[in-house]
Amino acid sequence: MGVNALEVKDLSVKLAAFVILRGVSFAVPHGSTVGLVGRNGAGKTTTLKSIVGLAPVLGGEIRLDGRDLTAVAPHHRAGLGLGYLPEDRRLIASLTVEENLRLPLWARGERGDGARLKLAYDLMPELAPLVRRRAGALSGGQQKMVALARAVVTGTKLLLLDEPFEGVSPALSRRLAEVIRSLQGVAVLVTESDANRMRLLTEQIYTIERGEIIQR
Amino acid sequence: MRGGKALPLVAAAVFGAAPLVLPGWVTFLLTLAVAKSVMVLAIALLLRGGLVSFGHGMFFAAGAYTVGMAMKWGGMREAVVLTFLGVLAAAAAAALLGLLIARYRGIFFAMLNMAISMVVYAVLLKLYWVTGGTDGIGIRTPTILGVMPERESLRLVMYYFTLVMTLPAFYAVHRFWTSPLGFALRAVRDNEVRVEYMGTSVARVIYAAYVLSGALGGLAGILTGFSVGHIVPDLAYWTTSGEFVFVAVLGGPASIPGPLVGSIAFEFLKSYAYKYAAFTWQMTLGVTMLAIILFMPGGLWTIYEGLARQGRQWRLSWKRTG
Repeated sequence: MGVNALEVKDLSVKLAAFVILRGVSFAVPHGSTVGLVGRNGAGKTTTLKSIVGLAPVLGGEIRLDGRDLTAVAPHHRAGLGLGYLPEDRRLIASLTVEENLRLPLWARGERGDGARLKLAYDLMPELAPLVRRRAGALSGGQQKMVALARAVVTGTKLLLLDEPFEGVSPALSRRLAEVIRSLQGVAVLVTESDANRMRLLTEQIYTIERGEIIQR
Repeated sequence: MRGGKALPLVAAAVFGAAPLVLPGWVTFLLTLAVAKSVMVLAIALLLRGGLVSFGHGMFFAAGAYTVGMAMKWGGMREAVVLTFLGVLAAAAAAALLGLLIARYRGIFFAMLNMAISMVVYAVLLKLYWVTGGTDGIGIRTPTILGVMPERESLRLVMYYFTLVMTLPAFYAVHRFWTSPLGFALRAVRDNEVRVEYMGTSVARVIYAAYVLSGALGGLAGILTGFSVGHIVPDLAYWTTSGEFVFVAVLGGPASIPGPLVGSIAFEFLKSYAYKYAAFTWQMTLGVTMLAIILFMPGGLWTIYEGLARQGRQWRLSWKRTG
């Protein structure tokens, strides 16, 4: 096992007729938090989506613990320890909070109370009263919290958090930052459009602009 | 005993005693309704994943024709063995077709099913020397565990046979819906991309649901064939499939009992509409469907759910005040 949990090298992504990412390269060391900052449309979400497998890769490499992911199906990537918090945060609205959290565990064939589920509840005790409620009936902030917990459940090696502070109150932003900082032994890649908010989490920041990394 | 646990026992008592007190023609209609409810359940299973099939009549026909041909060409008479064979054939057909159809969603899923069912219909129609063409195949009275039912008690025996064969189907769907695959199917309806990044293969979930629904469709066809005693290519015609979608919406596709309630309501509604308005019975069905969509979008079963909810609230307030 190398130093880096995630290594992205010369990543290029084309959506429809447009090249969205051009030769993007960066690394996330084990157990550390790395930020990807850029304006809207810079390519932050596409970068995360290509790591998860939801955006087609035109060229380059994505390595998780040294293993190239580009040919791995999206549903297999979650099984490799990838947790993803999408920007829209929305959950499976018709399922309860608990079912939303258990779904990734069931996908891995785990039936009991997994250690990761316990970790998620320990990190976010405010979820306890919500477990039986339908995810679609929660407030935006609560949904964000549940979505983060779901990412924690699958993300045993790497957490990908797409603008976790977007559209949430300052108090909840601070709480989410506290939870993310308290994650131990997991590499975290966070995207954010505001560099100041990113500094709540990390000083290791890459800046992305028009699909290219322009600054580290 | 909580209402949810008592309900299956009450249902078992009602369905068990019904033919003993009801006239013979009602027992026959009830047998048909129970048999067809398995097909409606198959449609409801897919609806849970946001998938509508206008071609599931092909599995209905696959089950029925497997039994018909095994009787006609193989000389088989044992109902349990024939049922097993028919379900196996329908499941195998669904497993094969599912490899293609499970890749599609929305209108393409619906129309592709319909297109294939029309091919099946044409084959059943044209292969006269095998299938009997428009004349169909007569289903002779089967033996049940080696015993040939008496002519006088045949209607009653077929009712109980249908009921017993239906129970595992409803139980299987209940287990499926409460299994990880069942939850994943519900999640697919909401947003299948999210299901993928949570580690579940959407294609696998839809394929599993499709094969199960095909097997259920086959079972429904077999039981219907046994109770009617005759099968025709129309079983695979697209209007037959459409009728099952209609019944699923009528009963309420979101619950396990909904398809059974819808199926019973539909068979009786159709019979009475045909009796009292022979030339406009389709209009009666249409108006009923309009009323359901407007006033009870969750289907007939929501009447019970509403009453049960009301009852729970009443019990709760009674306990507080008492």
